[in-house]
Amino acid sequence: MSVSMGSSSSNGRRKSLDAELNLVPFIDLLSMCICFLLMTAIWIQVASVQVKQGHGTDAPTQAANQLEMELTFTSATVAQINVKKSGKIVHKASVVASDASLWTSQVDRVLTEMDHALGTGGKKDLFANARITPTNGISYGDLISVMNVLRQHQIVNLGVVPNSAVLTHTNARKVGG
Amino acid sequence: MQISTQNLGSGTFNRHLMARAHQKSRRKKMLLVGLTLTSMVDMFSLLVIFLLQTFSASPELMVVANNVELPTASTGTEIKDAPVLSLSESEVFLDQKRVGATADLLKNPEPLMEKLEEIRNQWQGAHPGKSFPGEINLQAHRGLSSVTVSLFMAMLPSQAYGSIQLAVVK
Repeated sequence: MSVSMGSSSSNGRRKSLDAELNLVPFIDLLSMCICFLLMTAIWIQVASVQVKQGHGTDAPTQAANQLEMELTFTSATVAQINVKKSGKIVHKASVVASDASLWTSQVDRVLTEMDHALGTGGKKDLFANARITPTNGISYGDLISVMNVLRQHQIVNLGVVPNSAVLTHTNARKVGG
Repeated sequence: MQISTQNLGSGTFNRHLMARAHQKSRRKKMLLVGLTLTSMVDMFSLLVIFLLQTFSASPELMVVANNVELPTASTGTEIKDAPVLSLSESEVFLDQKRVGATADLLKNPEPLMEKLEEIRNQWQGAHPGKSFPGEINLQAHRGLSSVTVSLFMAMLPSQAYGSIQLAVVK
């Protein structure tokens, strides 16, 4: 006597338990998602570096225990960094970059040494502001790289000081009222 | 007309039967080509996941001018909605409208000053009783001299634009 197990149809064949999954609508959905996301994707992220001009009315005020930095590009390959507290210079350093691509690493090295010397390592709000004076031979891209390094060392209130002779000419027009 | 078997050669009928069988098999043969979609679905899934990461629902606040290549900086912050001053090596644009040649404006910045004053007056007219924030976005080509850019930056406070956002690429 034999017992047959499992489902069976009337003609004796076993019914298949496999289910077919239709992938066509899934592929259509993925294609639509890809088209939409391709149109809305942002490939270049634009950000901003804030600068408060030191000669304007928005120059940040300085507390008594805060430091000030002056970074002056004396030539295309040399920059001078002076750190002042209450008007007196507490730290001086020179940055030499024989090639424009070395500005970032050299400024970073000098600022790290300054952090060790002054004990300012990574602390926020120790610097009231930093004024940068560019010169001929320094490109705008290099200037931004140096400002980026300053911001990485928590020196965030940055100002750019232009040539003083031209500054007098351009600021001759005052805001009325 | 009747054809007797004597008029047919030997094996003719066999050959006829075989030819008919070949024709039937040709008619019944179906060409089925299997297409493996698994890899394509995998690729689509990865593309969707990648593009979801670059998706942003916030609007583009700044359009970068064609002939301006922005410098890179890793410490940039979010852009604010403010007028955009674009400095390329040859021309200056304010809110995508040409102001003049870069060299000419360095000698005589009056056209730029007038347009900045006009934008400021429009803002003050639209926001009576509020103090002008003085924010402006500055896009400058990375190859420009830093002295040139600093001279333009020095012009801006005279029109009460003291908060300058330098546009960079992250």
